[in-house]
Amino acid sequence: MNVAVSLLPTRALLWLLCGFVLLLVPQWDRLPVWLIVACLALAGWRWLAQLGRVRLPGRWLRLTIMGGLIAVYVATVHGRFSVDTAASFFVLAVGLKWLETANRRDFFVLFFILVYLATVNFLFRQGIGWSLVTLAGVVVILVALQLLHTPPDSRQSAFRGLRRLGTMLLKTLPVVIALFIFFPRMAPLWSVPLVSEQARTGLSDSMTPGDISSLAQSSERSFRVSFGGDIPEHRDRYWRGLILDRFDGHTWSQWQEEPYRRLGRVDRDAGIETLAANQYDVLMEASGQRWVYALDNSRAVSGNISEVPGELFRLERPADTSVRYRMALEPETGEVGELSPGERRRYLQLPSSGNQRSRQLARELATGTASDLAFANAVLNRFREQPYYYTLRPPAMPDDPVDTLLFDDQRGFCAHYASAMTFLLRAADIPARVVAGYQGGSAGADDAYLIVRQYDAHAWVEAWLDGQGWVRLDPTAAIAPQRIESGLRDAVAEEGSFLEDNWASPQRYGDLALVQWVSLQMDRINYNWQRWVVGYQGQSQMDLMSRLPGGIGLRELGYITAGLIGVALLVAAMVAAFRHGGGKRPDPATVMVLRWERILRQRGVAVPAGATPLQLASLTEQQAPSAGRIARAFAGDLNNHYYGTGARLRRGSRHHRTTGLRLMRRRLAHVRRELKRRSTTHGPARQHTADPARRPF
Amino acid sequence: MVKSPLLSAIRSHTRKRWRSWINRRIPVDDRRDFDRRCIFILPTAAGWVFGLLLVVMLLTGINYQNSLIYLLTFLLGALFVAAMHQTHNNLSGLQLALLQPGEGFAGDAIPFRFVLQGPHEATAIELGAEAGGPIILSVVGSERIEGTLQIPSRERGFLRPDRVRVETRFPFGLLMAWSWLRPATPALVYPRPVLPPRAPEGSVEAGDSEAVAVSQGQDQVELRPWREGDLSARVDWKRYSRNGEMTVADWEGEQGSPQWLDFEGFPGVDHELRLSYLTALVLDRDRVGEPWGLRLPGVMIEPDRGAHHRRQCLRSLATWQRTPPGGDGGR
Repeated sequence: MNVAVSLLPTRALLWLLCGFVLLLVPQWDRLPVWLIVACLALAGWRWLAQLGRVRLPGRWLRLTIMGGLIAVYVATVHGRFSVDTAASFFVLAVGLKWLETANRRDFFVLFFILVYLATVNFLFRQGIGWSLVTLAGVVVILVALQLLHTPPDSRQSAFRGLRRLGTMLLKTLPVVIALFIFFPRMAPLWSVPLVSEQARTGLSDSMTPGDISSLAQSSERSFRVSFGGDIPEHRDRYWRGLILDRFDGHTWSQWQEEPYRRLGRVDRDAGIETLAANQYDVLMEASGQRWVYALDNSRAVSGNISEVPGELFRLERPADTSVRYRMALEPETGEVGELSPGERRRYLQLPSSGNQRSRQLARELATGTASDLAFANAVLNRFREQPYYYTLRPPAMPDDPVDTLLFDDQRGFCAHYASAMTFLLRAADIPARVVAGYQGGSAGADDAYLIVRQYDAHAWVEAWLDGQGWVRLDPTAAIAPQRIESGLRDAVAEEGSFLEDNWASPQRYGDLALVQWVSLQMDRINYNWQRWVVGYQGQSQMDLMSRLPGGIGLRELGYITAGLIGVALLVAAMVAAFRHGGGKRPDPATVMVLRWERILRQRGVAVPAGATPLQLASLTEQQAPSAGRIARAFAGDLNNHYYGTGARLRRGSRHHRTTGLRLMRRRLAHVRRELKRRSTTHGPARQHTADPARRPF
Repeated sequence: MVKSPLLSAIRSHTRKRWRSWINRRIPVDDRRDFDRRCIFILPTAAGWVFGLLLVVMLLTGINYQNSLIYLLTFLLGALFVAAMHQTHNNLSGLQLALLQPGEGFAGDAIPFRFVLQGPHEATAIELGAEAGGPIILSVVGSERIEGTLQIPSRERGFLRPDRVRVETRFPFGLLMAWSWLRPATPALVYPRPVLPPRAPEGSVEAGDSEAVAVSQGQDQVELRPWREGDLSARVDWKRYSRNGEMTVADWEGEQGSPQWLDFEGFPGVDHELRLSYLTALVLDRDRVGEPWGLRLPGVMIEPDRGAHHRRQCLRSLATWQRTPPGGDGGR
């Protein structure tokens, strides 16, 4: 076993191991901990074996390890199958392969597996930072492959491999970019869900005000928006996502449950046409849900979302990757529809009992107000005038949560107040519903776009007022106007609870200008990367192509791609043909020797391989006695150039060297003239036999 | 699978055509400059697998509509093409020449000395013949680098590898570029020395008047005083220890009465075996330091001594009734 280990150069193996670790990094939070530990241990084992510290396991031990790890894997997967679980198995396979990496073939197998591991990384991580890490991993394993094919004693170092790789990448970059732009983006051939169920941060389709929401502690991005026109005011940015209209006394949920659809990729994208003044473009992070967020009075522009009742929008299936969609703001129509009796019943639904004090309050307020609008204002006034507090640390409210909030604790955040207000409206016979979504959002670098984070999650109320239709009412605005005017940070500034559990988030350190600046710049780079590179899909490609003359469809793109490859290969071949050899410029003296040999051979002289300059001189003299003197002088120059004091001049005076070379060139030209003269006057020269010592018979 | 005779006929025909095409392209010569006319390049097995991997990656990219996977696929694909250049350039422009074919005994590996030089650096150039090798050479700077390829020999005569394959897989091992050198100068393979079971019947039976009886060793030695320039090995040290006289043993053979090694000394023995016997005897005579002459049908080498004489005899034994290989399809 140990004999086989030494077949691989240590340098190459080290680089391959480094590449493996680099390629594992982007998956660190997706993979189970035991798998990462196992992989690192197996790779470390291989490394120690290479150093001769330990032996590689024998066949039985190897099979035992393999069986054990696969058993653990099967036990943790529970029979779910998705790309996620397959990718984990893939990582396990790479780890196990380390134990039987003995020869070049194994090395290649590992190389191929690692390249595919990089591919898998891109399925899960598409941010620019992670993409660069993955790319670095690929570069490292390519260097490892070069080291494998380099003799260990040669001067070829990893650095030179890296440089060579860089040159190659740079030279091929134009073709790669052109291929990226023109390669036809075809429809998927089949579909395998990328991830099985995975808990994601984000709005859920139910809301229990008594529970403490963890969203407010998360600064993860939910979506980013670019506007064709001006960014609306903070207070107007209500991003509607869900309507929660069924209340069971504790939890608000959707009347109609979302039909189950398998998680998958949303195939269509939003295109890259210039945004009109009333349009906006939303890049939503993978949410694992179908609902998307839109401002009031929006209309779907891109084909990947569709409108559903309640002026809400849905994707065709829950998105497991980021999705970009496009909306347009429409002016208010002023038309007011009618609420059907069924809908009316639905928006007035309340549990038959519980929260008796609140029902009593609603009845009292209703008798004192003339209209539904007046009632709503009365409720908002109560919130405004009485000591209600907006807090991220509300007390638990296990029984009759609405009563507890309104009369006892008077402390809560948006979900509590929205829930309570909807309850009061419904108790007063006014159709109402809770709307969940986001409110606000902060500006990205240079105010170019808007970043909406999880802590911008918000819940508010919509009530049906006769003659006005659905009207937005936000009790939070009455209690904590800062939340609506400038965001959560200011609303809880006094309390100091903003992202209090989230030490690592740069948003927490809003007062440090440098942190903010760096974080915004990085976000901008990432945003553009996501929009233009990651998101360059079918519709974007078609939009771009439509700017070019001629109707370019998928088929034409196919032709363009084929043509591109053809032209690139042709150019490459022509470059190769013209630049014979390539690499470093040959030593001028060597070139002269080669030329001399060629001249002699043209005259029909058999020049032995590796002839010294003096041998060449004597051959020349045999051929053309008149050239003898100058040829010997030239040979002397050459010897001097290689071995004499002239060799020292290589590093020193350049002037000296060039004059020497010029003299040598003149002498060679002289030799050539002499030889030519001889052959023209005396006809073709006699064929000399090669060195007699080598042809004894 | 049943082998169709037609198919195998086509295959052998194609191979023959390919062979002769190559031979036209690469004439027999002791030196060869590798340029694009004689360099062939194909993906290695790993290269084909890599191509397959790229297809799988492209399918993954299409299926998950993943731009980054597209990008990685195109990048690696372009790199593959660039590697084709690198591999080709690594070999292109180099000059390989047969410097010195070695000599040796049948059954031994015969060293062939090659020199590789080029106007640019070349890493990991592999030299190999059908039997023998490979050796790996790298040109650093624009130096010359020499390497010896050991080619096993089977029988005496001229040994010339039909083709010496020059191959490189640098830098990634996904592609290999190769060419051939078809050396013109053959190496000489001496017969394998085999000690004859009994002393040859000598020149007595040959009936030659010049023939002298088998040497009786020290009896024929004439002693003379030491002179300046005599080798110390020739000093009779025993005598010196006895009486302090520096005496030098001078063989009678220097004046005459050499031993003749005769092909006809082994009647009834196979010709090749006779040559092997003679080879062993030549080596033996040479070791002892006695003069000898060699007689083969059609060849006669006058008695002499020394390395040059020995080599001359061995060469005669190697090439007796053998013709040097001609340049088939050569220049």
